[in-house]
Amino acid sequence: MTPPRAIHRAIASCHTCGLASPVSLGKCPRCHSTLHLRKSNSIQRTLAFLIAASALYIPANILPIMVVAEFGDVLASTILEGVAIFWRKGDYPIALVIFIASILIPVLKIIALFWLCAAASGKVHPSPAALGRVYWITELVGRWSMVDVFVVAVLVALVQLGALMTITPGPAALAFAGVVVFTMFAAMSFDPRLLWDRLESLEKTKTSGNPPAP
Amino acid sequence: MTDPSPPAPSPEIRTAQRWNIVWVVPILAILIGGWLIYQNVSSVGPVARVRFDTADGIAAGKTEVRCRSVRVGTVEEVELAPDLNSVLVHIRMDPHAENLLRRGSRFWVVRPRVSGTDISGLGTLITGAYIEMEPGTSPEPWTKFRGRETPPTTNRSIPGLRFTLNADDAGSLTAGSPIYYLGFEVGRIETRKLDLAQNRVVYEAFIKENYRSLVTESTRFWNTSGIDISAGADGFRVRTPSFQAMVSGGISFGLPDGLPPGKAATDDAVFTLFPDESSARSSTFNPSLRFLLLFNQSVRGLVKDAPVEFRGIRIGRVADISFNYLPSSLDQRIPVLIEIDPALLRSETANNLSNIESTFLSDAVANGLRASLKTGSYLTGALFVDLDYYEDSPPAELGTIGELTTVPTVSSGFAQLEAKLSAILEKFQQLPLDETLTKFTTAADESAKTIAEARNTLKEIESVAQSAREILDDPQFKAIPGDLRKTLDQLNTSIASIGPNGPMQGDLLRTLDELRASLRSIKTLTNSLEEKPNSLLFGRESSGNPTPRAPRGR
Repeated sequence: MTPPRAIHRAIASCHTCGLASPVSLGKCPRCHSTLHLRKSNSIQRTLAFLIAASALYIPANILPIMVVAEFGDVLASTILEGVAIFWRKGDYPIALVIFIASILIPVLKIIALFWLCAAASGKVHPSPAALGRVYWITELVGRWSMVDVFVVAVLVALVQLGALMTITPGPAALAFAGVVVFTMFAAMSFDPRLLWDRLESLEKTKTSGNPPAP
Repeated sequence: MTDPSPPAPSPEIRTAQRWNIVWVVPILAILIGGWLIYQNVSSVGPVARVRFDTADGIAAGKTEVRCRSVRVGTVEEVELAPDLNSVLVHIRMDPHAENLLRRGSRFWVVRPRVSGTDISGLGTLITGAYIEMEPGTSPEPWTKFRGRETPPTTNRSIPGLRFTLNADDAGSLTAGSPIYYLGFEVGRIETRKLDLAQNRVVYEAFIKENYRSLVTESTRFWNTSGIDISAGADGFRVRTPSFQAMVSGGISFGLPDGLPPGKAATDDAVFTLFPDESSARSSTFNPSLRFLLLFNQSVRGLVKDAPVEFRGIRIGRVADISFNYLPSSLDQRIPVLIEIDPALLRSETANNLSNIESTFLSDAVANGLRASLKTGSYLTGALFVDLDYYEDSPPAELGTIGELTTVPTVSSGFAQLEAKLSAILEKFQQLPLDETLTKFTTAADESAKTIAEARNTLKEIESVAQSAREILDDPQFKAIPGDLRKTLDQLNTSIASIGPNGPMQGDLLRTLDELRASLRSIKTLTNSLEEKPNSLLFGRESSGNPTPRAPRGR
């Protein structure tokens, strides 16, 4: 038999200080934060942030992220064009880094979170091992997707040489920053415990034959 | 630990919360993303395709398109046209400049240009060439254009007067040549075209808005290009315009004297461009009065447009010289048609002249009014028609040939000169030539006498010379040189006795030697006296060794 779970005893972990206390108290006895058994509206919030991130992902990729003005020669390039430029120049590592950090990771993160949300709401039924690994990867790689925004921010701040060379951020930089922030919010607002709640109820239905609770 | 009774369903309530405030975030994100895309897409203007002869200085993605130096687009792509004779430049207009692409819009490349009139586009030496455009006037949208190689001189949107000038000859006038008013530049020639159908040159001219009112219906335009040297009945004339006009050509205009300005000229008005100022000014003649003159002399030197003057005041011009005005071929007289502008006469006179009923002209002719040809310039031989009263002229009357009134003429010019010459010859004949000649002969006689006397004198001189020759021929006279030589020889010998080898010289030398010896002995005496003054008394002391002494006074 599985060990007893906090949820069954109505014991909530404080979101702020981590103190486990009965949810009936309403407020954390230590830090007076509101107590919830689970993050409230977790899946809904995560989905909302994911949709926002996806919506911004489109302009982030089709609009120029960086405008380089060199000797009056203005070159505006999107993320993919930048990758292509570095690839053609032979700077394969940089091209790969940009491609992975700016295109692959956000996409993967969004897909992974969608998948986790689907799993948490019982739409898909993956193995617990797969869920664990996907969640871990999401947490691990998520922070690196900000690299591109950092690169643009640093270049814009550094390369202001007047007529010689000037770099200004394109509209995609804003959108891309939005994508990264929203995926981070989505990951934050996702409560992985829901996955295991779902798993448990699934197992119960398997044993009891009852349909899972809504 | 609290009791394990499950109050778990309490969180279930929250799942019922269908709508959460968090959904505002994706809506906002979609809106922002959509706005970003829309802004980017809408910031892309239409593409204009302009065909140029060459893409010199045009770089894709770099060359700007400007309208009045304001950026309105960039060159997106430059490609060779399929016919390989030109290039197609794709211009991405900025979205706000979409309405500049109209039918009739003009595009040209601004490069550094140096011409006779100006230097332009020097800024593009550093920044590179750019394409300048000028929107058309038609509102119809258009995307295909033919680029110009040279910039139009005046932007069509600049307000001003635009009109047409027709000229017989282009001269040095080109697009961009200035138009002057009183020497002040007020406009420019924009284009010039050859009108083959009419066989003339057609200019499009532009006058700045400020000076628009200067051009009226009566305004005359003339060419001031180059140096104008003309020789006519008025003598020589040299006119030089400003240096710029000399180099690039120019046009002046003005209102002829005494002409009402009339209504202000409108756009698309058509004017004639006269080759020079005088023809422009004389073009104002309103030749309403025409008379025929029949000359009984050569009219060589009289040309069309030659002045018609009344006592030096110009009142008209010669309109034509042709035999066609004479009905009969037997008439040897030369018909000259003159035109008189009544505006140049007193209004009263003009009225009288134009009135056929009036007897003004016939009275004048009865009083001696005649036309004559006079030489305006002896250098060029140009003639003009002079009207004057000749009181001693033979009586004549007004005539009519066809519809034209003929004014009687008197011969003048060379014909008058001939008459004067004959008068001079006549006077020569009247001179008392015979008397003078007799005086001349008596004078000649007298001089012949004088000559005879002179001849006698000469004879006397000859006889004197003869006697002198006789004296010279005398033998005694001839012996004189021999005597002279003898005397000289004697003189020579006497001089030789005095000479260095002569006896006198030897005597002299000896005498001198003796004198020197006696002087020496006196010197020894004085020395010894100085040494021993008493030796004169006691005699010389004969010491064995006399001490030598340096003489004093050295």
